[in-house]
Amino acid sequence: MENSDVNVIYSVQHQLPLVMYIGQYFFFTGLSAGSFVISVIATLLGRREFKPIGKITAILAPILLIIAPLNLIADLEQPLRFWHLFVFYNWTSPITYGSFLLTAYPIMGIIYAIMVYTDRQKAAKILGIIGIPLAISVHGYTGFILALAKARALWNTAAMPTIFLVSAMVSGIGLVVIIAAARWKWFDKKATPEDRKKDKKLILQLAQFMAYIIMLDLFLIVSDILVLLTAHSDAYQAGMLILTGNFAPLFLGVEIFLGSIVPMVLVLGPTRYSLRAIVIASILVNIGVYAMRFVMVIGGQSIPLS
Amino acid sequence: MAKKRYAMLIDMRRCIGCHACTVACKAENAVPLEVNATWLKIIEKGIYPNTRRYFLPRMCNNCTDAICARNCPTQATYKRDDGIVVVDQHRCIGCKYCIASCPYDVRFINPLKNIVQKCYFCVHRVDSGLVPACVESCPTRAMIFGDKNDSKSEIAQMLATNATEVLKQEMETDPQVFYIAADETVMSNVEKKINYRAESSLIKLRL
Ligand code: SF4
Ligand code: SF4
Ligand code: SF4
Repeated sequence: MENSDVNVIYSVQHQLPLVMYIGQYFFFTGLSAGSFVISVIATLLGRREFKPIGKITAILAPILLIIAPLNLIADLEQPLRFWHLFVFYNWTSPITYGSFLLTAYPIMGIIYAIMVYTDRQKAAKILGIIGIPLAISVHGYTGFILALAKARALWNTAAMPTIFLVSAMVSGIGLVVIIAAARWKWFDKKATPEDRKKDKKLILQLAQFMAYIIMLDLFLIVSDILVLLTAHSDAYQAGMLILTGNFAPLFLGVEIFLGSIVPMVLVLGPTRYSLRAIVIASILVNIGVYAMRFVMVIGGQSIPLS
Repeated sequence: MAKKRYAMLIDMRRCIGCHACTVACKAENAVPLEVNATWLKIIEKGIYPNTRRYFLPRMCNNCTDAICARNCPTQATYKRDDGIVVVDQHRCIGCKYCIASCPYDVRFINPLKNIVQKCYFCVHRVDSGLVPACVESCPTRAMIFGDKNDSKSEIAQMLATNATEVLKQEMETDPQVFYIAADETVMSNVEKKINYRAESSLIKLRL
């Protein structure tokens, strides 16, 4: 039957269940996990010039992770019943893993931050090593929330949790670069010129690390889309939605071009020694990742189901 | 005797598209405006003079492998022993993950109660020995409800002797609403194929 011969006279479409609160929540947990990983890497390497970054990120991670679940509770239709999550848990639901991870991770993050600030190196290292899998799961599970909702073709792929993790790393490093650069510019005046030089070099290295992770992110996204386009019809529609449909400007324009390609060129290209260019790249990266959360959460639900 | 397994069979050879089921459900379950536990999907096919309308009563399939129950973090949505999938109204926190997971767009937020609801085969009626309100109201007896594990029931006999189909079998949720002689186009995702505009969904965003 040619589709032009068909008219829908009446049907019901219910309102989109998950709104941007959820995307925002994904964004904040991503930032938190990303900065925690950076902090632990700094602590483990233990070099003196890494300390400031280790400290900034140690405090950033739990703060961001306290903001993140507020989005979740605000999204509930019955916010006062949020405690049901802990009392009536259901182990087949990814949200249940989340509610326990979201409790354990900030507590661990706060203890870790105290250790870092009181300079108890050994305890900080041990906590950091325990914390990394926790940080990865706290963000990784958000990918599973989408991947296990099998109704939506854009979400229901095995690549989803990894894409979320990698983009979290990207945005987390971006945030750390912005804060470290601000510190270098305004609050680092007392340091010797030599230390300042070292600090700047560190920021540049961090930015380069970010650029390499962006490449990994792009690879994952391209492979996800290639598979979507050759899978069943819903998956094909989902792929076309973000490539040529209503979400294409946000996906191709903001997420891919402004949020990945431009920052990569800024960080690796001729401007690679300019702190200003690197800060701009980091801001763009964060805008790109936020757009990615929007495209995934809202775009994924915008294809009618019946 | 085998365990009870309630199911619904809708015979599209008899359905006249009268919307009686929609109205009966609204009245029985106090379903607010703008949301529906059951509705009639209607399409028009063909080019004049060779045209026809096709109907499809839509409702929760009370699936055997209900992805909504599997993903509900509080067990507010759960499957009863007789196979009916229900939502505990006092336990639901309104996270809406079940709505996002269900492949059939049959769950909704009750705007008056702020919890998730859907068709639950009118358990309150079934438990007291009645058939669901929509089945009761159907003037052409196109809807048949009963225990499909009871070989003497009408539904078991109809299921055994007719060619039936279910919606989106590929989703592997094992739907328990069966259709006889439903049209392929009306069962497919027509909205996506022909009328697809993401704006219409974006308008429904409550940012
Ligand atoms: S149709 Fe949807 S809401 Fe109903 S039982 Fe199946 S998965 Fe759950
Ligand atoms: S909205 Fe209610 S029924 Fe649905 S998954 Fe959340 S708690 Fe369960
Ligand atoms: S069985 Fe009850 S709740 Fe379900 S559609 Fe029919 S009247 Fe509505």
